[in-house]
Amino acid sequence: MSALIAPACVHCGLPIPGGRAGDYCCAGCEIVAAAIAEHGLERYYALRDDARPARTTSASYAELDDPAFQRVHVEATPEGNRHAALYLEDLRCTACVWLVEATPRCIAGVREVRVDLGRSRADVWWDPAAVSLGRIAHHLDRIGHVVHPYRGAEREALRRREDRTLLIKLGIAGAAMGNLMLLAIALYAGMFGGMTAADTTLFRWASLVIALPALGYAATPMFRTAFGSLRAGRLHLDLPLSIGILAGLGWGSANVIRGVGEIYFDSLSMLVFLLLVARWIVLRFQRRASSAAEMLLALTPSRARRIAADGTITELAIEAIAIGDRLAVRAGETIPIDGVIAAGSSAIDSGLLTGESRPVDVGPGQRVHAGTVNVAGPLEVVATAVGEDTRVGALVAKITALATRRAPIERLVDQIAGRFVAIVTIGAALVFAAWSLTSPALGAEHAMALLIVTCPCALALATPLAVTVALGRAARRGILIKGADALERLATPGTLFIDKTGTLTEGRLAIATWLGDLDARPLAAAIEAASAHPIARAFAPTDGTARSTSTSTSSSSSSSSSSSLSSSTGAWVASEVREQLGHGIAGTVGGRRVLVGSPAWVRTRSARDRQLDAWIAEVARRGESPIAVAVDDRIVAVAGLADPIRADARTALAKLAGLGWQVEVLSGDDPRVVTIVGHQLGLDPARCHGAMTPELKLARVEAARARGPVAMVGDGVNDAAAIAAATCGIAVSGAVEIAIEAADVYLRSPSIEAIAVTAASAVATLATIRRGLRISLAYNLTAGTLAALGLIHPLLAALLMPASSLTVLASSLRSRAFVDRSAA
Amino acid sequence: MTVLYIVLPLALVLGAGAVIAFVWTVRSGQLDDVDTPARRILFDDDPAVVERAGSGSDSGSGSP
Repeated sequence: MSALIAPACVHCGLPIPGGRAGDYCCAGCEIVAAAIAEHGLERYYALRDDARPARTTSASYAELDDPAFQRVHVEATPEGNRHAALYLEDLRCTACVWLVEATPRCIAGVREVRVDLGRSRADVWWDPAAVSLGRIAHHLDRIGHVVHPYRGAEREALRRREDRTLLIKLGIAGAAMGNLMLLAIALYAGMFGGMTAADTTLFRWASLVIALPALGYAATPMFRTAFGSLRAGRLHLDLPLSIGILAGLGWGSANVIRGVGEIYFDSLSMLVFLLLVARWIVLRFQRRASSAAEMLLALTPSRARRIAADGTITELAIEAIAIGDRLAVRAGETIPIDGVIAAGSSAIDSGLLTGESRPVDVGPGQRVHAGTVNVAGPLEVVATAVGEDTRVGALVAKITALATRRAPIERLVDQIAGRFVAIVTIGAALVFAAWSLTSPALGAEHAMALLIVTCPCALALATPLAVTVALGRAARRGILIKGADALERLATPGTLFIDKTGTLTEGRLAIATWLGDLDARPLAAAIEAASAHPIARAFAPTDGTARSTSTSTSSSSSSSSSSSLSSSTGAWVASEVREQLGHGIAGTVGGRRVLVGSPAWVRTRSARDRQLDAWIAEVARRGESPIAVAVDDRIVAVAGLADPIRADARTALAKLAGLGWQVEVLSGDDPRVVTIVGHQLGLDPARCHGAMTPELKLARVEAARARGPVAMVGDGVNDAAAIAAATCGIAVSGAVEIAIEAADVYLRSPSIEAIAVTAASAVATLATIRRGLRISLAYNLTAGTLAALGLIHPLLAALLMPASSLTVLASSLRSRAFVDRSAA
Repeated sequence: MTVLYIVLPLALVLGAGAVIAFVWTVRSGQLDDVDTPARRILFDDDPAVVERAGSGSDSGSGSP
């Protein structure tokens, strides 16, 4: 009944593709909707606020019940139940939480499921006697959430401890601030309205009792960084902050004990509280960005199929595989371990490791590596290295090392902090000396007042506030920035290296030109349908035009050779397909011999068509890769394959150039192709480099770093080292995990437009930071001058501090960074 | 104002109590996830669902 106008999927609301019977747009939605209905969970549809096509797999999840997996990921509870943390895909809204948490109603034996939406994590408790984890995972998969073991649980636990400690300190500082303020108001009122000496002493001692332990404990993060920076010989903003806090606490306590002089506990408590709030906010944003990036799919599969001595095959968790195990790897699968081929021959796509996406032939006795893709046929591999000992594991370790060794930039605030410490200490010494001429006690009093009132609270807030505003807005636009440093790094323009594939272009091959006999196209498509090679996928009729061409041609030619049509589907079916890896593919379609491959290879096996050279020249002129098609030993057509340029690439590049970025292309592709793509985008041919290996990319980035800031944009493992070596690494949507890990910025949208927005917003954010710093320095100058002249009063100090912080906050909120102009 | 000598320490004790309660909530993990509980409050459990779930679990375990 909902399909009155256009048939829409009952589950996700998308139009149902023509030719698909039933109420659903895809098998995923159908299975998930059936699972939901089966368990009486239709309330899901009332709760959800967005509808998307469901994803579900046919995985058995038997490996979750493997003892080796259970040892690592499952813990027993005192009540005799089991507990495990799972990572669920597509957890988005209230309805997802409800659906997942309703699992105990659907499966007997599940005690409880608790979802953490922010982390895409589900904690499951179950009775091992009644149900297995694999069964629970299978259910979660069927309701549309693909299940992964929650990796990095220890790191998560460590972070949670840190988060809790900071939150406790924040709470204690807040409570101390509130109580100290009340006491301070009484004291200030007493100052003007009169108060007995005994009562004043009582209030001062009460302030001391609260301030000393509470602030001493809550400010430890600042003390620790200050001490660490002193030991490392670098100046950090926490140093002047710590000096101010310690001077205030020490001097105030001394004054309480002496019974004379000012106390500054109220201002100090506000200072500590505001600083901790800033830290807390920044940490929360960073955690969200990094955990979102970390939890993306892993490079190597988490499952493997082990062949036992008797020939039976069991699917196991990758953790259960040991060196010497014999594994079965199907065609199209990623190889889970480093090993030696024991049986079978195939082709391996090592694109993940080398960036070279052309498959290489392999046979028994040859080595294969984890993370590479078995393209052609089934293999049996004996494991020689597993987990972190594999080549990809070593690469990951190298990239991580590069990323952590990245020299921290001299942050703007820290530069200021250095001068600040010097000026304030010298100033305090001068004030002490000058006032000591009249009275040493007065000198100490005023010098201490100077140290305390110039404690740069607003200065410390300026960066976190501006950055938090920027990071929050960026996250809403699908740009995940891992820290404040990344924005500061991007604010200074330099060289921007872009990996062509997948960044400027759409990252897939498509037939851009077809010269010659159009009727040969469906024949070529039929042959290529039998191959998993990336070039073969370009022939697949994915878009509407290609599909209509192929159907109309096949129906017209079916009259001439109806025997060539498969009667059941009405499409061409190829037989006797033989793939000559690196050259092409041959086979028979409807009794006709069809050859598709590189022109040189096809030419040796076929009669030459007179137009061939002209066709190849034409295709090459357009910057496309020529693929020759021969039918019945005669070359009839040449296809020009190209990676289509993204629609928004040109405007984004112009915007980046306007910001002062020098854009260069570093691609693993043929140099001529890269130059032509560069030409189409209006880039200088001298700045378009093709045939770049991972090592060359790294060398280029390191050479450019000598000249200035470098940003590297990429998505593959072959880019990851360059990303890690760059001043600021950017990974784009679809990037492999390691590239995301190495990057400072992760763009969830695939558009290069987002890079331009990020670069422009980095400049805007830095401007906001500068404005905040100027405001806070102006306040400090005023307060410092008053203190030096002996005119400062604790009440004035207590008013100046929030006033300066609020001005900086207001300034940060006015930042133009990441503001969506279309919405404004 | 001798009453201050009783009330002020009392206020400090109460304040300390609140801080201890806060520390307890953090340590017991109640503030680890502040996003999901806000959504969880929207689920009101209608008994019809619970009833049907009993039969649903049987058919569920029977399917592959």
